[in-house]
Amino acid sequence: MTIFSFILMGLGVAFVFVGSLGILRLRDVYSRLQASGVSDNAGLGLILIGLILYSPWSAHDITLLLLLVLILVTNPIVTHSIARSAFVQRQRQETDT
Amino acid sequence: MWIVEALVLLSVAFVLVLLWRGPTPWDRLIAYNTASTRVVVAICIVSVATGKTVYLDVAVGYAALSFLGVVIISRFLERGGGHR
Repeated sequence: MTIFSFILMGLGVAFVFVGSLGILRLRDVYSRLQASGVSDNAGLGLILIGLILYSPWSAHDITLLLLLVLILVTNPIVTHSIARSAFVQRQRQETDT
Repeated sequence: MWIVEALVLLSVAFVLVLLWRGPTPWDRLIAYNTASTRVVVAICIVSVATGKTVYLDVAVGYAALSFLGVVIISRFLERGGGHR
């Protein structure tokens, strides 16, 4: 079980590093948003599942599961909110000029 | 376990570069959101590695407050961003 959890955490760290590489390399707000949103959800979810499987049936698990659900629900909301904010503001600037 | 912790904190340092140089406010907001979510996971790793359950409550509170803060800042930027 420990080996399996370390494999999951390694996969998650790989996703997180691909996400930060995309954030640093891409040149647009929407591209950066896509890189951060998608890969962060996958990577952090994998790391948290690995942490749950690392010591199963302990007192950590319920809080870790709650935190996993919290991150998986709020991260798309934040991504959508930032994208909508940038889009609306850009439309407003184009209609002003 | 500590290797995973060090790698997550290194990726937080990469994201802070974008927070420093981002051209528009939305880039900085993306960097802030990404960094805070990764810090939450780093706190979880510390908690499981040292066996102290108290840190998990800190992580839950930090996740909820960072979500609220980012949504409020993005709504503020949507309505004009202070320079209007």
